[in-house]
Amino acid sequence: MNKFAVVILTSTIVAGTTLAGPAFAASLKNSDASAQTVVVTEGSSKTQLQVAAGDTVEFCSSGCFVTFPNGDREALTGGESIEIKGGKVSIK
Amino acid sequence: MISSFLRQILLTIAAVLFLAAPVQLALAQTPTPASPAPAPVTTTPAAPAPAAVAPAPVAEAPAPAVPSSIVSEQRPVIDALKKQIAAYEQKFKQKADADAALANLRLDLEGSAKKLLDIGVSFRPRITEINARLEQLGSPPPQGQPAEAKIVTDERTRLTTEKAEINAVLGETEDQLLEVNKMIDAIGDARRELFANTLSQRVDINYSLGSEVIDAYGREISTMNQLISSWWRFVVTFKWQSMLAAAFFAVIAALVLLIGGQRLLGHLYLRDAAIEQPSYLSRLAVAFWSTLMRSLTVVVFLATTYLFLSYFNVLRPDVASLFYTLFCVIGIVYFVHALAQAVICPGAPNWRLVHVAPRPGRILMVLITATATITGLDYLADTINQIATSPLSLTVAKSLFATVLVGLLIIAMALLKPLEDQETGAAKRWPRPLRLFLYAIGLIPIAAALLGYIGFARFVSQQIVINGAVLVTMYLGFLTARAVADENALGGTVLGRTIQTRFGIDESTLDQLGLIASIVINVFVLLLGIPIILLLWGFQWSEMTVWFLTFATGFQIGSVTISLVAIAVGILLFALFYGFTRWFQGWLDVRVMSRGKLDSGVRNSIRTAVGYLGLGIAGLIGISAAGINLSSLALVAGGLSLGIGFGMQAIVSNFVSGLILLAERPFKVGDWIETSGVGGIVKKISVRATEVETFQRQSIIIPNSSFINGNVGNWTHRNKLGRVEIPIGVSYKVDPRRVHAILMDIARSHPLVLKNPEPFVAFKALADSTMDFEMRVHLADLSNSGTVQNEIRFALVDRFAEEGIEIPFPQRDVNIHLDDADAIVQMITDRVKEQLAGQPKKTTKN
Repeated sequence: MNKFAVVILTSTIVAGTTLAGPAFAASLKNSDASAQTVVVTEGSSKTQLQVAAGDTVEFCSSGCFVTFPNGDREALTGGESIEIKGGKVSIK
Repeated sequence: MISSFLRQILLTIAAVLFLAAPVQLALAQTPTPASPAPAPVTTTPAAPAPAAVAPAPVAEAPAPAVPSSIVSEQRPVIDALKKQIAAYEQKFKQKADADAALANLRLDLEGSAKKLLDIGVSFRPRITEINARLEQLGSPPPQGQPAEAKIVTDERTRLTTEKAEINAVLGETEDQLLEVNKMIDAIGDARRELFANTLSQRVDINYSLGSEVIDAYGREISTMNQLISSWWRFVVTFKWQSMLAAAFFAVIAALVLLIGGQRLLGHLYLRDAAIEQPSYLSRLAVAFWSTLMRSLTVVVFLATTYLFLSYFNVLRPDVASLFYTLFCVIGIVYFVHALAQAVICPGAPNWRLVHVAPRPGRILMVLITATATITGLDYLADTINQIATSPLSLTVAKSLFATVLVGLLIIAMALLKPLEDQETGAAKRWPRPLRLFLYAIGLIPIAAALLGYIGFARFVSQQIVINGAVLVTMYLGFLTARAVADENALGGTVLGRTIQTRFGIDESTLDQLGLIASIVINVFVLLLGIPIILLLWGFQWSEMTVWFLTFATGFQIGSVTISLVAIAVGILLFALFYGFTRWFQGWLDVRVMSRGKLDSGVRNSIRTAVGYLGLGIAGLIGISAAGINLSSLALVAGGLSLGIGFGMQAIVSNFVSGLILLAERPFKVGDWIETSGVGGIVKKISVRATEVETFQRQSIIIPNSSFINGNVGNWTHRNKLGRVEIPIGVSYKVDPRRVHAILMDIARSHPLVLKNPEPFVAFKALADSTMDFEMRVHLADLSNSGTVQNEIRFALVDRFAEEGIEIPFPQRDVNIHLDDADAIVQMITDRVKEQLAGQPKKTTKN
């Protein structure tokens, strides 16, 4: 009976956490001092995405192409975390 | 059988629903929670500006044109994809008016988009490699500095070239993807438009239409007449033997099924009027089997007829399609009729599946059959129109007629009073919401048809009929599930009894099995019914599988991804690991700890701790497998801790106390404890509470915190050694030393009394009537105290009787002082005289 209660307690917490769960989009962090602009091709449109200095944005939930400020192009599947630091792009 | 017209309508609705989903998703995604709003989303082709930075040095480089291996590897794949996409584009232009083709094309394009993205991703390792190497090489030395080694310059040039090449290929892939996605959007638009056109097309219904229809009708009749009579002449002249043979075989097959089926399975579906109250399950089984067997007979008859006719080449293509539709219609109408009869069962009220009064039930059955017939005839008329290539006006008129009739029939159903009051037996109307709903869905096609929106009216009425049938069947499925879940429902069936005897299951387990079966049936009905309804609405099977996969593997709501598969895997892992923990617990206890001669308290503590640890780990494994981030769990736990501090104070304090009890072990299972007025044997120590059984066999659940905060007496903490006192009082007439010796003798001679510590007899008091002694003996096992006390007391009484030692009653000396004796005597004498004097009066009176 006690274990049952524990299970219920856990599942309540789980249900609560689901709402605060992680997102499966790519995240882009700009660690540089100036704002950066990347071009995102997602769906049927190309959009410019501006990221202020020190900010992180989430985009590209279902795969996209990105052109970074240094001209590099990358295809993303939508789970990556990207960091722009010193003009260099690193993808994890 | 479904006309292409209907198909189009159905498919277009699919398009609308399908397109609505991504639109909503897109809307949900736009408000990204990032604080600096990502610059107003411009759809300008803005790529070239930043992209131009990298290729710049390439232009001046001498480019030792060695194509990168990955590029040459992917090149043919990209080219093939490009070709395919071009083909798709061509197809899109050609098939822009066929909805099914568009839906398939869309799926193909989605596949291509995925491939393009995969190609793009496949370049990533190489790009990372190149970037890393370029960083190692550093930037070229500025002018005026000493030049670097040639080999370094060469490598840098080579790498930048390759990178530029990859960038170019990626750009190409990107453009293709963009094109594909645009086409997907365009297909969505086209399908939406198609659907809207079909539904919004309006036909003027006026007198001219009437005369036109009569004309066309006459022509169609004569065409069909000609067609049928020419076929008939052909059959009679050349194929009459084959025709007869076909009919003969078909009848034989149907008869075999009818008679054989009744012989073999008759007991399953023939209703026994003698049974007063058949259980729901047996009613359902009868309904199922009777529907199945009756429809099967008809279907077999029709199918064999058709097969033999076509086998003997009796059918011409146009007549064949007519026959095919006719047979299909007959089969389905008969099935609906049989189903309605089985469910409503007007003849045998006790076999009904739903509570419907007999007479309205019969009417309802007729109405249902009529609706099915009209819908079927509508299909048949469609086929005839196609064969006779009749003008549109006839199709319109026929659809108008059919839809209005269906609407009227539904309204008639709504007007019925089919329900029977369980107690009074009075007829009742449908429940109000259902009645209103029926009115609405009956009026919609009528109104639409009369206003001229024939396409829409037809669409609605057909949807109503087909979906109604599926929904009723699903409802029966749910009823079945409910019936199976009833107490002892499964045990009452043949199947249940077979399982019971075969596997030796007891009643309650069988009952639980019934519950599980009911859940399974519910899920099964949903899994079967929903796709069927969606298929009827014109969704493609492939679309549905894609949805299901997305649904199962993960879909997003806002920023949360929910994946059913992950959750199921999480639950499964939890169950598996928990099972493993239980097994491990048992193994540790029985195999290891009992052999290691561990104290039972320690054993119990370890067992419990292992159990909770396993539960915790299983929970964590389950949660992480379900794709829930544990760090956010910590966040929630942090937030909850304040609430827990107030709201669950008692529980948490008990919980912690339980942990302390497990570690400190002030008592173990089987100990005789006393706490706050409760005494008994400890039966179970859990984390929140401890179960104590008193000697009257009353179980008392004591919260653990009371053990930690209060005093706990444990009679059997380290050992079971304990002292028992037996008080006794003897008369003053005896020599106390003799009594002492006798008591010591009795105490020593009892086998269960310990020699060390020695028994002790205390001369406790010189009381009023007795000299009080107390015999104090130590026992090795305190649980024997009752027996030992009894035996010693028996021995005492026997020995005292032998020795003539008296155990006195309470004694009291009463002293009377006789100083006033004379006065008392005088007073009594006076009283007696008075009484004697009064006596004669009494006699005279009497």
